Amino acid sequence: MEEKLKEIVERTFCKLESVIDNKELAALKVEILGKNGELTGILRNLKDLPADKRPMAGKLVNDARTRLEEAFDKKFKKLYEEELSKKLDEEKIDITIEGKDRKKGGLHPLTIVKNSVIDFFSSLGFMVVDSPEIETDYYNFKALNTPDNHPARDMQDTFYITSNILLRTQTSAGQIRTMEKIKPPIKMINIGRVFRADDVDATHSPVFHQIEGLVVDNHITMCDLKGILDRFARFFFGENTKTRFRPSYFPFTEPSVEVDASCPYCGGKGCRVCKGTGWIEILGAGMVNRNVLKNCDINPDEYTGFAFGIGLDRITVIRYGINDMRLEFENDLRFLKQFN
Amino acid sequence: MKLPLGWLKEFVNIDVTPRELSEKLLGIGFEVEEIIYTGENIENVVVGKIIDIKKHFSADKLQVCTVDVGKEITTIVTAATNIKTGDKVPVALNDSLLPTGKRIVSSDLRGVMSYGMFCSGAELMIDDNVIEGAEVNGILILPPDAEVGADIKDVLGLNEYVLDISVTANRADCQSVYGMSREIAALYGKKAKKPSLTYKVYESEGLTIPSAKVEDKSACSLYTGRLITDIKIEKSPKWMRDRLRQVGIRPINNIVDITNYVLMEVGQPLHAFDLRLIEGQINVRHAFEDEKIVALDGKEYKLNPNMLVIADDKKAVAIAGVMGGEYSGINDETKSVFLEAARFAKESVRGTSRALGLRSDSSARYEKGVDWTSVEMGRERALSLFYKLKAGKITSLKTEDGAEAPKVKVIETSARKINDLFGIEVKQSVMVKILKSLEFGVELRGDKMICSVPLFREDVDNYTDLAEEVIRFYGYDYLSSDLIKDAHPTKGGLTIRQKNLDAIRATMTSFGAYECYTYSFINYKQYDKLRYGEYAPERNVIRLLNPLSEEFAVMRTQLVGSMLNVVNINLSRKNGDFRLFELSKIYLPEKLPLEKLPDEHDVLCIAYCGKDENFYKLKAAVSEVLEGYVAYSVQRTVAPYLHPGIGADIVCDGKIIGSFGKVHPVVADAYGIHCDVYVAQIDLSGFIEKSKSIVKFKPLPKFPIVDRDLAVIVDDKYAVGELIDCIKNSCELCESVELFDVYKGEQIESGHKSLAFSIKLRSDEKTLVDTQIQECMSSIMQALSDKFGAKLR
Repeated sequence: MEEKLKEIVERTFCKLESVIDNKELAALKVEILGKNGELTGILRNLKDLPADKRPMAGKLVNDARTRLEEAFDKKFKKLYEEELSKKLDEEKIDITIEGKDRKKGGLHPLTIVKNSVIDFFSSLGFMVVDSPEIETDYYNFKALNTPDNHPARDMQDTFYITSNILLRTQTSAGQIRTMEKIKPPIKMINIGRVFRADDVDATHSPVFHQIEGLVVDNHITMCDLKGILDRFARFFFGENTKTRFRPSYFPFTEPSVEVDASCPYCGGKGCRVCKGTGWIEILGAGMVNRNVLKNCDINPDEYTGFAFGIGLDRITVIRYGINDMRLEFENDLRFLKQFN
Repeated sequence: MKLPLGWLKEFVNIDVTPRELSEKLLGIGFEVEEIIYTGENIENVVVGKIIDIKKHFSADKLQVCTVDVGKEITTIVTAATNIKTGDKVPVALNDSLLPTGKRIVSSDLRGVMSYGMFCSGAELMIDDNVIEGAEVNGILILPPDAEVGADIKDVLGLNEYVLDISVTANRADCQSVYGMSREIAALYGKKAKKPSLTYKVYESEGLTIPSAKVEDKSACSLYTGRLITDIKIEKSPKWMRDRLRQVGIRPINNIVDITNYVLMEVGQPLHAFDLRLIEGQINVRHAFEDEKIVALDGKEYKLNPNMLVIADDKKAVAIAGVMGGEYSGINDETKSVFLEAARFAKESVRGTSRALGLRSDSSARYEKGVDWTSVEMGRERALSLFYKLKAGKITSLKTEDGAEAPKVKVIETSARKINDLFGIEVKQSVMVKILKSLEFGVELRGDKMICSVPLFREDVDNYTDLAEEVIRFYGYDYLSSDLIKDAHPTKGGLTIRQKNLDAIRATMTSFGAYECYTYSFINYKQYDKLRYGEYAPERNVIRLLNPLSEEFAVMRTQLVGSMLNVVNINLSRKNGDFRLFELSKIYLPEKLPLEKLPDEHDVLCIAYCGKDENFYKLKAAVSEVLEGYVAYSVQRTVAPYLHPGIGADIVCDGKIIGSFGKVHPVVADAYGIHCDVYVAQIDLSGFIEKSKSIVKFKPLPKFPIVDRDLAVIVDDKYAVGELIDCIKNSCELCESVELFDVYKGEQIESGHKSLAFSIKLRSDEKTLVDTQIQECMSSIMQALSDKFGAKLR
């Protein structure tokens, strides 16, 4: 019997080698280990052996069975893996073909830049306010120390609706509305649409956007203004950016300054973007004019403040190197898709 | 303003390059927009003296000239015929450049080498105002005193740099050469020299001057006149003509040129009246209603009482500060001149100039503001030029009327106060030095600085203005970079509305839409294109008084029109399938014409364009946007720009807050769109200002869901939404209902449709058993049958 067992095991091992699929494997398993299989037959014949030989023989048969079952399992696994890898191989696709699903859309570059400006200022405690786009002469000019026939009105060609109601020419109008509602300490920015009767060309648009900033508190100084704007310039244009203050004039600030940033494209060496000067004008600013504070019932001897106005469109075209402002309002998808 | 450096140097003795000066000026608040070199593109052209002229050996029309050009004797071949031996002419030497862009090199002309070229006035791009003879047809013959070998630019007065300076609106006092020289003198620690004001006065026996009277002294605070006789009209001297040209003024004759010269030099507008044309006395008065005057430009202007005129006993002879009358001007027969120097209020001149649409160098200057001291200086300067140019005899006759001279402003401040504004320490002595260099009077009393403001500095009112003067010259670079170190903490960030708008932007981009920005003003014709009815409230638009054009004339009350324009642009550029959105304001007036500010509403507009788009895809975005903000229902649209069958209105509390659907074919056509476009417009105002309610967590269900499908046949008139509501209401275990199939066709009775729903049932208390499920389904079916006559399919 022992001989027989050995022969079955070896033969089966041999056959297993040449089995090529699950079907053959199953058939072989039935042939050997099935109900009527060879090994099962031997087991069945054990009862004919003398009682004292049975345990020994039983063990031999069971050992053989275990070895065979393990071999079958192993073969099964091997076949499975072969089949799987064949299948996976067959399912192979061309991964260089473009991904295809609805893509996410994107924000307009002006919104993207606006959001980044808001991040900077709101982290410093600036609240973000809104004010009307259609304004009264009082908020847009008079309260900002720009009475009728003031020369500064010449600087801005205003769209009028009535003699007293107009499209705001500057977000500065929001300064007054804020200071009427809130008393110092005030830190606010006001971002929005402004309008000036400029004909459309590559650098002018009758509709554009400004970021107005205002800080009013005790002991606010020009050094504070410089500090905020220096940090903003570095945040927006890069860590190595420098700023330069130049005296200027706005009716609602005194002293007033224009602020230039070192050109982010050439680092100040002079290039086409900065017209060779190494500097680009980014904003106007100054210490809030005493008359403006008085107009809002804030005592100018107790409080001082600074204000600044940044052209959102201007810093956007600088950041992205957009060569024509008209693209902003044309909304060509080939333009809109570039910024997200 | 234009600042010729030679002219400037008459008042300040400085030796700097134009570029250096420009950079320095930028530091004190004057931006130089352009450095103009009057001799641009003239190189290597010198004065030559013709020594000999010979015929060309082989060309009849050419002459061979021997020319002394200073450093050598050379040969020039020319075709010109207006030259003779001894003439001095401009010679473009070998390798020279002419302003026409032409480069001249030595060349062989029919066998004779010509080492350059004689130039005509045209070739040097000059006219008779630059030099007599420049306009003749032929070579420019220079005056005999021209120095042989000299650079032609020096001879022609073209060797000059002119700075084009942008002067801020507050610095009217810097709108002149002398005014700028005061700033530049302070910049270089020098003192500006005053222009010469000396002249000889002739006694004027038997003559009278019209006496001036000012009616409204707020519009004209000072009016002065002087009489000049024996006027000799001629061309003004070359130096004066050169300077006028440098600042962009065409020389006319000595009298007119003197007034223009003074305007540019000291900033005082003057007017010279021909005395013969003044009948009686001078009255500075408001115009009569509909009073007419023909101005020097030959046009007739109709005036009104807001406008100021200079009148004699009979008529208006000038529009004050703007332009003289036609007949008051100087001509060749003028013998005596009434010279006006006055101070008209800038508001008055500005208003008149705007209303008449009439501008002049004088009005432009008055609009910026002429100060009290300028009148006298301007007048005296002009008289000294009359004297210098021997243009007439200055009589002692004068007339004057006006308000009292303004008081000198005195500002009391301290270095402490000024430094508090700066945030740095500038020494008092430094401040005093700067202010004094700018002609402020400064008196120290202890810590106090008592500053008196020169009358020409009308822009200076209080200590902050003084601070600006100090820091301007001290240097902004000395400010340190603090970070609002003394300020109180404040809470920053966005308002709820702003956050909600950002969230809606995020929702829209997640649906694949790109954000647009379009103009707030539109063409009113959009309302026709969008099929708005004659009385549609959307047509109540706010109109601009002065739009750029009809294209941008009214403030929009809807965004759809602008959006369809954007769609059209993208389609015309073959930009494929796309989704777009815009979040902008619309402007809703309460009443027209506008009496108070209109309501500004936040509106979202969406457009879907592409072959795979449909109503339901757009509806998905709309419901996602509104999710959590408002409860709403939809009804068939009444929006004129939508397809009536494929469009819906969003109704919230009985009010339509938006519409969406397929663009009406007629509207699409009007916008040049030839494919299906779906648009949505939602007015967000009313809920965008509120925060969404805080989400409360619901425990996950413990018991499983049961799925059942149900197909029913109903009359076509019933909407799916109605059936779904009915299903939900008829069974409390019904968790959700979804339509998954609609069928109309052969097996279905005509006028009916088959609807298949997928229904999810679930109980919070137990796992549902068959009997309960059956019960649910039959109560649903019963309800559908009762309400809609539905039959099970």
